[in-house]
Amino acid sequence: MPLQVEDIQGILLYGYGQLRHACFLLLGITDKEAAQKWLGTLDIRNADFKPDDVHRCLNIAFTATGLKRLGLAEELIGEFSTEFREGVAGTEHRQRILGDTGESSPDRWRWGGSRNPEPHVLLMLYGRDEAALSVLLSEQRLRLTSFGLQLIEQLDTTWLPEDKEHFGFRNGVSQTGIEGVHTRTSPGNTVAAGEFVLGYPNAYGQYTDRPLVNRDQDLQALLPHAPDDQRLHDLGMNGSYLVFRQLSQDVRAFWRFCDEKTRRRDGAPDPEARTRLASKMVGRWPSGTPLVRSPEKDDPAFSRDNDFLYYGSSDAHGLKCPIGAHIRRTNPRDSLEPDPGSDRSIEVGKRHRILRRGRIYGAPIARSMEAADVLAAGDAAGERGLHFLCFNTHIGRQFEFIQHTWINNPGFDGLYEDDDPLIGDRGSGHGKPGGTFTIQADPIRTRVTGLPRFVQVRGAGYFFLPGLRALRFLAAQGK
Amino acid sequence: MPHQEALTVIARIRPGQVQTVKGILGTIAGHRGRWDIVPFAKLANVHFARFVVFDETADLDGNPIPPQLAMMTNVDAPLDAHLRDLTTTCGDGLDKVFDQCEDYPAPAGRTPAARLAFLRQHHKRARAFYVNRQGRTVQQIVREEQLRRAINEYLDSADLTRHSPEMIRGAIVAFVAGRSDLRWALYPPKPPLTLWRIQQIVNLVVYPLVAIVLLPLLLLLSPVLFLLLRAHERRDIPDTSRAPAEMVRRLRADEDFLMQNQVTAAGLFKPGWFRFLLATAILQLTDYAVRHIYNRGSLSGLSSIHFARWVPLDGRRRLFFSSNYDGSLESYMDDFIDKAAWGLNAIFSSGDGFPRTCFLFCGGIADEKAYKRFLPTRQVQTSVWYSAYPHLTTKNIANNAAIRQGLSGHMSADETRTWLRRFGVGNQLPESGFIARLLDRIRWDRLCHCK
Repeated sequence: MPLQVEDIQGILLYGYGQLRHACFLLLGITDKEAAQKWLGTLDIRNADFKPDDVHRCLNIAFTATGLKRLGLAEELIGEFSTEFREGVAGTEHRQRILGDTGESSPDRWRWGGSRNPEPHVLLMLYGRDEAALSVLLSEQRLRLTSFGLQLIEQLDTTWLPEDKEHFGFRNGVSQTGIEGVHTRTSPGNTVAAGEFVLGYPNAYGQYTDRPLVNRDQDLQALLPHAPDDQRLHDLGMNGSYLVFRQLSQDVRAFWRFCDEKTRRRDGAPDPEARTRLASKMVGRWPSGTPLVRSPEKDDPAFSRDNDFLYYGSSDAHGLKCPIGAHIRRTNPRDSLEPDPGSDRSIEVGKRHRILRRGRIYGAPIARSMEAADVLAAGDAAGERGLHFLCFNTHIGRQFEFIQHTWINNPGFDGLYEDDDPLIGDRGSGHGKPGGTFTIQADPIRTRVTGLPRFVQVRGAGYFFLPGLRALRFLAAQGK
Repeated sequence: MPHQEALTVIARIRPGQVQTVKGILGTIAGHRGRWDIVPFAKLANVHFARFVVFDETADLDGNPIPPQLAMMTNVDAPLDAHLRDLTTTCGDGLDKVFDQCEDYPAPAGRTPAARLAFLRQHHKRARAFYVNRQGRTVQQIVREEQLRRAINEYLDSADLTRHSPEMIRGAIVAFVAGRSDLRWALYPPKPPLTLWRIQQIVNLVVYPLVAIVLLPLLLLLSPVLFLLLRAHERRDIPDTSRAPAEMVRRLRADEDFLMQNQVTAAGLFKPGWFRFLLATAILQLTDYAVRHIYNRGSLSGLSSIHFARWVPLDGRRRLFFSSNYDGSLESYMDDFIDKAAWGLNAIFSSGDGFPRTCFLFCGGIADEKAYKRFLPTRQVQTSVWYSAYPHLTTKNIANNAAIRQGLSGHMSADETRTWLRRFGVGNQLPESGFIARLLDRIRWDRLCHCK
C-alpha cells in the first residue's frame, strides 16, 4: 500500500536536513474553541514536497492531555496506546526502565515533569535560514494568546559544523529507511512503514493498534477509512507517536574522563589514545566512519557509511567495534539472537527500530569541536545537548525497548556491568550499576571502569503526531 | 553436583481469608528484595522462590474454584533436604504464611514434622520443568561469579596485553592458584549424581520406545486426529478482552527492579476430551524436550529463561506456568513471538481463550497484538519473589562456568584464544544438540499459511 504522503506530516518521513534552523514550542491550551480555531489556521507541512522549494515548515503534535483539552472524547483517548496515555513520566516503572532517575528524574525536569505545567501541544518550526525561522517564530508567537494558548517553553536549536553533535562526532549518519519511501537505504536498514506510520502493516505484517472511530463519531467523514476495518474511520492513520527528550550532554566530563583514562605513564595526555577510547565508546570515529570499516584509525572516506553489519564485517567478537559501543547497542544490525549473522537476526531487529528526528541545542564549548580545545577551555557557561525526537508506532516495543533492553542493560549481549558508555543511566532500571566499558581485544580485553553519567534528561514528553485529516477532525471536536 | 528440582506447594485458603494472606505477603514493589518472613536467603540451595495467590474463580461450567496459595522454589536436589530446611529454618515464616490455609497444622501442633507432612502432602509435581542448564548449584553459580570478578580485577591491574595467549592463561591460572579463596576453581565441577543420570537415560530411551510402539496406531489415526484438530482450531473462540488497566499497572509496578523478572500465568483447559488428551501429550513431549533436546541453555533459540514450570491446578481444570527470566516482560514476550512461537503455541493452545492457532504450531503467539493483549488477562500477580543471584543473566552464568572450566585441562591455541575472549564478553553459548538445531532451523511462520 503506497503511503498517503499528502496526509502525512512532513517531519515524519523527512528530517528536513536542508532546513537547518529549528525551534520547538511547548504550548498549553487554555481555551478549547480558540485553540481549535487556531489549528484551522496553521499551514502544516505534509510529506508531499520538493525539498528545494521549501523554506519553512510547521508541524504539530499533542500530548494525551492536549487531546483531552481539545475535546476528544475520553473513550477515544482510551484507544491510544498505554505508554502515550500514561505519559513518559507517568509511572515509577516507566522511570525505571527509561533510566529517568536521580538527576534525570521527572521531579527535577525543566519541562514535562511532575513539577512543571503540563504541555499540551508541541509545535515544531523549521526554516532554511535564520531569517526564515525567526519570521515564522515571531508570526506564531504573536498569535498564541489570542488563540487561547500559553507558551510553556521555547526550545531553540543549533547546527554544529560538519553535522556534529556536542561530543564531537558526526550525527545522524544512521537513518532507518521506510519501505516504499526511502529507496537509497540498504535492505537490512529498510523497515515496514507501519513501524513508524500508523495505518500501515508493521514489521509483523499487522496494523498496530490505534484509535478507530465509529461513523457516527465522524459525521463529516473527515477521517480516512481504517484499512483493516472498512466500517470504521481511522484517527491514527498517517499519524505516529513522537518521543521527545531533552538530553543534556556533559561534554567536559566526557572528554575529561577519556583524557584521564588514557594518560601516559608519566601523566602526559595522549590525544590519539583519547580519541580512540571515545571512538570505541561511540562505535564510530569523530568523522562518522564506523569502526568496523576502519578499526585502527579514522578514515574520512567512510564518514557517511551506514551500509555495514557486525557479523557480516567479521566482527562477531567486538574486536573492531566493541559489543557495548553506543551504535552497536542502539542498532545491533545482525549481531543478536536468533542466529547472529543471519537474515533472521536482522529481521527480528527490525521490530525495534525508530526514526530519529533530533536537533542539537546549546553553543559548543569549542567551535573547533576538538577534544583538546574542549579540555583547554575554561568553565563554559550554559548547557548543551540534544533535543532527541523519534517516531515509532509502538513505544513499548520500539523506543522503550531500545532504552531498557539495549541502552541501559548492563547484561546486553553477554556483558556484565556495561551499560551504554555514552548515554547509559548507570544502572537504575536493572538494580545493578553499569559504568564499565569493556573493549574486546586479542589476546585479552581491556576495560575502563567508573564511567559517570554523561547525559541527563532535562525534560521529556510522549506526543501523538496526527495525520492532516486527523488534525482537521481534532479541530472539529464538539462542533 | 546435584541436579535441580522444582517444589510447588499449593494449599486452599480458608473462606474469607484471601486478603489476610495477601496482607502478610505484600507485593514485590513493596519489598524491593527485602522480605524476611520466609528467609529464603538463609537456605543455601534455593535459586529462586515465590509466593503466589490464585484468586477465587470459576471453571468453564461456572463451578467455583476456591482461592489458593502457592509456594514455589527452584532448588538443588535432594528435594527432601530442602523441605526439611524449610520446616526448620523457615518454620515460623511458614506458620505465618500458611496460617489461613486449609489442612495446615493447628497452632499447637506446628512442629517441623507436622509442617513437613503438610508440604509433602501439598506438593504438586510439575508436568514439565525447564532448567537452563542442569547441574549448576547455587553455590557454584555464586562462587563462579566471584571468581570472574577476581580474575577481571587481576587483569585490570596486570598489563598482559603484550603477552601470548598461552602466557596470559598461565598467568591467570597462577593467580587463581595463589588465592586460597579461589583455588577450588582449578578443579572442574563434578557432574550430576549417577542415579539422576541413569534416570535421565532411562527417560531418554523409554519414551522413543513407547513412541515406536504407538506409531502405527498414531499413523492410522492421524487423518482423523488432524481433522479433529482443525475442527477444534476453527471452533475455539479466542478471548479478545483486555485486562483492566489497573491490573496491568499493578503487574508492571513489580517489574524491572533487577536484571531478572518473573511471570506467573494460569488458565483453564479448553473443554472436551480431545483437547485434554492433546494437552497431556504435548506437556509430556515438552517435558521430554526440555530434558533431552533443549538442555544446553537455549529453549528453541530463547536463551533468557533460568527456570520454568508447567503445573496442573484444580485437577484437570487449570494449568499454570511460571518462569524466571532475564530482561523486561516486553523483551520476553518479543522473544516468545520471534523465536519460540511454534513450541509455545503447541503447549498453550490447549488453554481456553488462547489466540487462534492453525496446525497446532502456527498463528497463536505469532499474532503480536493478540498475544500481548491475551497474556495480561491470564497473568497472576506474584506476591513475593526471591532470586539468589539477581544480577546474573543466563549468559553470564554459562560464561562464568566456561571460565572456570578453562582453568584446568589442556587447550589448543585456538581454544585458548576463545577462552580469553570470555573475559571481554560472554555471548558465545554452547552449541545446541543436533535435534534442537534441526528444530530451530524450521521456519514455522512460513510453513503454514493461516487465515
